Amino acid sequence: MEKLPLGLALDLRKVVPYKTGSWRTLMPVNIMQIPPCNHGCPAGNDIRGFLRVLAEKNDYEEAWHVLTRNNPFPATCGRVCPHPCETDCNRRDFDTPVAINSAERCVGDYGLEQNLEHKKLISERKEKVAIVGSGPAGLSCAFHLAKRGFQVKIFEANSEPGGWMRYGIPSYRLPNYILKQEIEKILNLGIELECNVKVGVNIPMDQLTQHYDAVFLGIGAQVGWSIDIRGKDAQNVFTGVEFLKQINSGQIVEVGRDVVVIGGGNTAMDCARVAKRIGANVSIFYRRTRVEMPAITAEIDEAMEERIMFRYHTNPVKIIADEGRVVGVLCVQMELKEPDASGRARPVPIEGSDLVYPADTVIMATGQAVDYDGIDIHKIDNQWISTNEDLMTSMDGVFAGGDAVLGPETVTAAIGQGARAAAAVENYIDGNVQGRLAQPPVIYSKDLNTYYYKQSRRFTKEAESIHMRLKNFREIYPSFDREEIAKEAERCFSCGLCFDCGNCYMYCPDNAVKISPSGGKYEFDLDFCKGCGLCAKECPCHYIQLTLEK
Amino acid sequence: MSDKAEDLNRVEKKDLFASGHRACGGCGQALAARLVQDASGENTIACVATGCLEVFSAPYPDPSWRVPFLHSLFENAAAVASGVEAAYKALNKGPVNIIAQGGDGSTADIGFQSISGMFERGHNVLYVCYDNEAYMNTGVQRSSFTPFGARTSTTPMGNTTRKKNMPLIAADHGIPYVATATVDDFRDLQRKVKTALSIEGPKYIHILAPCPLGWGHHGELTVEICRLAKDTGLFPIYEIIDSKVTNARKIPVKVPVEEYLKPQGRFKHLFKKGVPTEEVAEIQKIANQNIERFNL
Repeated sequence: MEKLPLGLALDLRKVVPYKTGSWRTLMPVNIMQIPPCNHGCPAGNDIRGFLRVLAEKNDYEEAWHVLTRNNPFPATCGRVCPHPCETDCNRRDFDTPVAINSAERCVGDYGLEQNLEHKKLISERKEKVAIVGSGPAGLSCAFHLAKRGFQVKIFEANSEPGGWMRYGIPSYRLPNYILKQEIEKILNLGIELECNVKVGVNIPMDQLTQHYDAVFLGIGAQVGWSIDIRGKDAQNVFTGVEFLKQINSGQIVEVGRDVVVIGGGNTAMDCARVAKRIGANVSIFYRRTRVEMPAITAEIDEAMEERIMFRYHTNPVKIIADEGRVVGVLCVQMELKEPDASGRARPVPIEGSDLVYPADTVIMATGQAVDYDGIDIHKIDNQWISTNEDLMTSMDGVFAGGDAVLGPETVTAAIGQGARAAAAVENYIDGNVQGRLAQPPVIYSKDLNTYYYKQSRRFTKEAESIHMRLKNFREIYPSFDREEIAKEAERCFSCGLCFDCGNCYMYCPDNAVKISPSGGKYEFDLDFCKGCGLCAKECPCHYIQLTLEK
Repeated sequence: MSDKAEDLNRVEKKDLFASGHRACGGCGQALAARLVQDASGENTIACVATGCLEVFSAPYPDPSWRVPFLHSLFENAAAVASGVEAAYKALNKGPVNIIAQGGDGSTADIGFQSISGMFERGHNVLYVCYDNEAYMNTGVQRSSFTPFGARTSTTPMGNTTRKKNMPLIAADHGIPYVATATVDDFRDLQRKVKTALSIEGPKYIHILAPCPLGWGHHGELTVEICRLAKDTGLFPIYEIIDSKVTNARKIPVKVPVEEYLKPQGRFKHLFKKGVPTEEVAEIQKIANQNIERFNL
């Protein structure tokens, strides 16, 4: 037997530490959860992901790549998206939501400025996919398919790609050069684009289904609907779609002095603000009130700032024309009664409240429809394309998405549909039947331990003065300071994902939280963890949770 | 920030107090001892009085301590530390951080004379008191640190006396540094340990270390309870440097004492069907006095 030093009965070097982990009934686990911003994003952006990259590394390049993994239009969405992510942000219950939309725009602009390129996931495949329409849905679908190696060809009816982003959204909201660059980056993945080809008119639909393995219809809803009133055939009566298309194609439209816009949606706001910039006095006529207006709140606010007159409870009944030209609109006042099928209050005319408003131009932005010329497909309500869960239409191998399926929706929603359709097209071509993967749970503010967060001021974007705005079609928000945006990103709570605060590491009374040697930030030493739950309780972002011992 | 200030504010984690000790889950004292040990570093001699800390961390053959460790009796941790310091002086060795440590019983009741003697003789020793407000190791008996109203096994109807104010007693010995801390703010705690060790002479740090078993709360609430103790004003955080109270922590939002009392089983009898009894008002008075006294 080895001789031990005096006083020792046991060789201490051979002692095994006492493993207190056997006491445990509950054990801590790291659970990555979906933050409400990611959950609420129609395009499926990894918002927490790109904000964390900005906050931790201030690395705009990586942030751009994180963002464009799902959405090839960060600069566009950063300008036009109504950002449901900010509405859902858990920080709203603490102080103010993170300015996600501004951060997205800043990252998108950085990508364009530095000319960053999308990366292909796998090399070429031989299967061919045709995309009809180069709007947000079509381009997003093309982008995701091209990244997965498919041979993609886009057919566009207009002379330039972009769909409603190009011909609908005015350039003070989305400058043309930004959109052009983002589309160029997508096309650089090896996507073929053929403009001035209208599928169903110039090429029959059958030809596509025969020559391609799959077809995606992203044809949008680009036919303006006008309400059926007397005198609508007069000169200078446009639908909203026609008007915006003419303006965005660079045509000069003579609107005269007084412009009346009918409707309360985003198209109505766009038409009104465009007409204001041309120099007219603009008023918006809407049957209900501001509360019921379907337009994006910020758009309505900006329109009001630009001194556009809002006439609520006003319904046009007749357009008065003189020698074929509009001179006025006869309106009747409405009052709101119990809600109708759409959930909005039902307007009912008040007798004897007729009034004539002078008008040189009337723009009717009262709805949009799909142009089905030459495309014979099963529809819902004879209006929107009917699809199954995988966005496949009644025709085998023909998928659809965007406004043509959803009805007039946001750019972001169309991008999300394009991405979903791309996944469905891949499964269809590969013959996979893929069940939907179980999604991690969404984390809400009640689960967070906000003690560790500090209150701070939200980044606010500064608009040009109204006087300057109305002079031209320049973008109304000049570009943002990158340092400020990086600071704003630090306000992100990182809900449901470790952000390396070190609380678990410092608070564990048993020293059972170790710095992980394998890349992850911290890991539990379950040999010694007693399962007290202190780490879970003090984890600010609820990444650590307790579960029953296995 | 100067190098020195940066050094003081840095959070230390050196694993000098290793896993595998027998403390209960969520033990405040185990957490506090580790934070103190990591702050003081390898060049340390720990002299620990009898109590929970010694019992759970030091059984042969696998103690948690990765530094020289002396276990003494209940009453003489400070005296033993004084002897260690004298021996180092006599051998002309050092410098070394000598930290005498004990629970509230060994500090305020049984070991009081040896601490008082150590302070009076001016040994270069840091005394750390882990205050869990009763004799937890022997079965939750009342100590002179037990707060008013708390139930222990020897005061089943609630303690009728007030807590001894040890930091001020220590300060009145005229020692250069006295501080209070809790385990929830580890930055503050480690900064105070490092500040104390940089000062020559006897020092005293009083750390509130919740005991889930004795206080009757769930282990996961250890940090939360500390935070409430601070924010109600029941445990004021301050330093006393050269007999002057400084750096008293301002309470950001004052919390009524009910918030602190309700999660703890030892105060359960103060609420009859959720309605606070008059003892709660008395405890609120103590908190208010603290707030006024230290201008929290």
